[in-house]
Amino acid sequence: MADFRLQAETAGQSAGLLERSKATGDLEAFDQLMRLHEKQVLGTALRLLGNLEDAQDAAQEAFLRLYKSLNRLPDIQEIKPWLYRVTVNVCNDMHRSRRRRAWEPLSGPDPVSSQPDPESAWFGQERGRLVEMALKTLPEKERAAVVLRDMQGLSTREVAEILGSSEVTVRSQISVARGKLKKFTVRYLRKRL
Amino acid sequence: MNDLDWEQDEAEFEKNAAAMRELTIPPAAFAAVRQRVLSEIQEKKRRTLWWTWLSVAAAACIALLSVAYVPQNPAAPMPVIAKKDPPKIEWTPKPVRHASSGRLLARARPAQKTEPLAVVKMLTDDPNVIIIWLVDQKGDSL
Repeated sequence: MADFRLQAETAGQSAGLLERSKATGDLEAFDQLMRLHEKQVLGTALRLLGNLEDAQDAAQEAFLRLYKSLNRLPDIQEIKPWLYRVTVNVCNDMHRSRRRRAWEPLSGPDPVSSQPDPESAWFGQERGRLVEMALKTLPEKERAAVVLRDMQGLSTREVAEILGSSEVTVRSQISVARGKLKKFTVRYLRKRL
Repeated sequence: MNDLDWEQDEAEFEKNAAAMRELTIPPAAFAAVRQRVLSEIQEKKRRTLWWTWLSVAAAACIALLSVAYVPQNPAAPMPVIAKKDPPKIEWTPKPVRHASSGRLLARARPAQKTEPLAVVKMLTDDPNVIIIWLVDQKGDSL
């Protein structure tokens, strides 16, 4: 499986995978395409939804939409921004439907910190959880802008393209969102300490 | 907000973002998503195939039934229908009124005979005035 991933990571093979998936509906090729983009999709969904189970549902939906739309994607280069766009949309839909239901506490297995030291791992997890909670208080567009720009590491231009807005708007959204996140964490820590 | 605050904010936010980035997702979660996606696609394909077969089978059944219900011997004699002559109707024409009947004759006008007229031309003292008198054979003036 690791070999598959290594092989698939070359651009030429990615294009080949896309062509195979398109032409014959080859599930093995599509499986490899998913492996290429699963970190991007599931990671974004997890940061947007703050819940692994919901994130998995969102990722599943995004990949199913990818499979349905394979013939409409002419180029492998378009998959990445397209998947980001779909993931953000799916997460927004899920977030809205979840908000319509009662608020539910975090559920599912916790993501694991990669830090080897248990103490710093614990701090890292706590900080992550705090940011997760703070992110939930943001409006959809601001949350998506912060997640894509600061956590997924995309450029402002890419974020603007994915969200369908201008770079100026994205910069402004990120700035406002950071302010809100800071306020939330300060208030939260004051209450806790 | 002064520069120091801003730098602290930036550093703080960077730590938060890093903490979020560092949260690695267990590999089993990726595998589960892939598995769910593939089984969903396979299920959809199976369903599509099943519906295709079902519609083909239904079309075949309809074709067979329609063939079975078509009359097997198309040259069978047609039922004979007894011929009946239509009933005779007695018809007596009404007497036609001829033009010689009294009423019609009364309406007819006799052709007028044109009788020659006598013209009497009388001269007066005034040469510009001439009196013309038209008289028929009976002597009546017109």
